[in-house]
Amino acid sequence: MISVEDIRKSFGPLEVIKGVSFNVSQGEVVCIIGPSGSGKSTILRCINGLETYNSGAITFDGIKIDPGDKSIVNVRTQLSMVFQRFNLFPHRTALENVIEGPVQVKREKKADAMERGRELLDKVGLSGKLDAYPGSLSGGQQQRVAIARALAMRPKAILFDEPTSALDPELVGEVLSVMRDLANEGMTMVVVTHEMGFAREVADRVLFLESGVIMEEGSASELLRNPKHERTKDFLHRVINPLE
Amino acid sequence: MSDYLARSAQYFPLLLEGVTLTIVVTLGSVFLSSILGLVWAIMAVSKSRILRGISRTFITIIRGIPIIVQLFYIYFVLPELGVNLTALQAGIIGLGLAYSAYQAENFRAGIEAIDKGQIEAAHSIGMTDGLIMRRVILPQAVRIVLPPFGNTIIMLLKDSSLVSTITVAELTRQGQLIASSTFDNMTVFTLVALMYLAMAVPLTFLTRHLEKRYATS
Ligand SMILES: Nc1ncnc2c1ncn2[C@@H]1O[C@H](COP(=O)(O)OP(=O)(O)OP(=O)(O)O)[C@@H](O)[C@H]1O
Ligand SMILES: [Mg+2]
Repeated sequence: MISVEDIRKSFGPLEVIKGVSFNVSQGEVVCIIGPSGSGKSTILRCINGLETYNSGAITFDGIKIDPGDKSIVNVRTQLSMVFQRFNLFPHRTALENVIEGPVQVKREKKADAMERGRELLDKVGLSGKLDAYPGSLSGGQQQRVAIARALAMRPKAILFDEPTSALDPELVGEVLSVMRDLANEGMTMVVVTHEMGFAREVADRVLFLESGVIMEEGSASELLRNPKHERTKDFLHRVINPLE
Repeated sequence: MSDYLARSAQYFPLLLEGVTLTIVVTLGSVFLSSILGLVWAIMAVSKSRILRGISRTFITIIRGIPIIVQLFYIYFVLPELGVNLTALQAGIIGLGLAYSAYQAENFRAGIEAIDKGQIEAAHSIGMTDGLIMRRVILPQAVRIVLPPFGNTIIMLLKDSSLVSTITVAELTRQGQLIASSTFDNMTVFTLVALMYLAMAVPLTFLTRHLEKRYATS
């Protein structure tokens, strides 16, 4: 469904993605792990057309991702993204945030969109917060609204960029459990995360990215239990034992 | 003293006519400068280098020429090029253009204060640039822009007196005309000053109120 073929990306003189390829098929959950600055966010942003790439090709359902082309709007309505810092619209309530895309972009009837918006907020455990503004919600609640906003587009796949990294530790679980439910329902997901427990339990495949290249990739159990590459071992060791 | 009041009463109707024109000029140029200012601001933050360049060039030119010279240019020079405007039209267009440059700076600051993450989130649900401007940026920018906007209106109210130099019979001009025929400078200009104050003070309170209201949110 998502195909990334040998993409390269530079910011000025600095090449940050140095030939990355992978595929994500329908219903698959792929986790991307790797140290800070390795290019994880950049890859997701390229897939969503928020960033241009210098060479290679990304396609979604056979459509080439081209941030400069009108087709990107169509792609984005089918490929949602959830951000580290939630990025809700602060001047709109939880429900208004969720229906914004369906009503303004997909031109759904407002009443229908509200109905479904309520269902989605209920699904992420926020039926009591329909009319709350983002500023009055906790980080975990905001991120769940953001997930509902992504789902409201009825996407074929969702990209998550470190969705729990900005959360207080006790709020991480509520967001991960919503994501696990989605995975169990068969949603196609690409998740950049440092939550190894989540990757182990939910991911079909894990990619280890370092300095703009995929160093190692494999099934979650394989890569996380028996990493082959020294760098992967190092990284996992540091994530699991941060004080050593 | 009663003599003073009697003379005031005599000048009052003429000055009120001036007040009416002052209000017309102020409102007209507030309207024009807001629309144009918004256009420059949107151009200034657009992706197109050309649009950004046009906006920057225009603002630089406008800010570098005294308003009174701009007014003279529009009223006295344009007719030579075949563009004839009434004094009132020239006054509103001149002040509107001049102030659009200041408004643009204010609007641009408001637009740029919106967190980039929200704009990316809006893109990621398929919103186009125009939709993002209308649904995400402008509704939030308004809160940031309103208090300085109030100050701009007050400044425009006072600077509307500049159009007296191109024969628009607004408050200042009426004052000058009465004073030069009666030599009663003291009474006339005291009245003129009080009338400006009567218009500006409520606006000042309104602006302070807006500042307080939006400073907290
Ligand atoms: N807009 C930009 N301009 C210049 N350099 C950038 C830009 N965005 C990212 N970079 C650089 O690209 C590299 C990869 O960044 P990226 O955000 O993709 O890393 P990441 O793996 O997501 O890191 P983190 O775990 O900290 O989020 C970094 O060196 C970063 O400094
Ligand atoms: Mg990142």
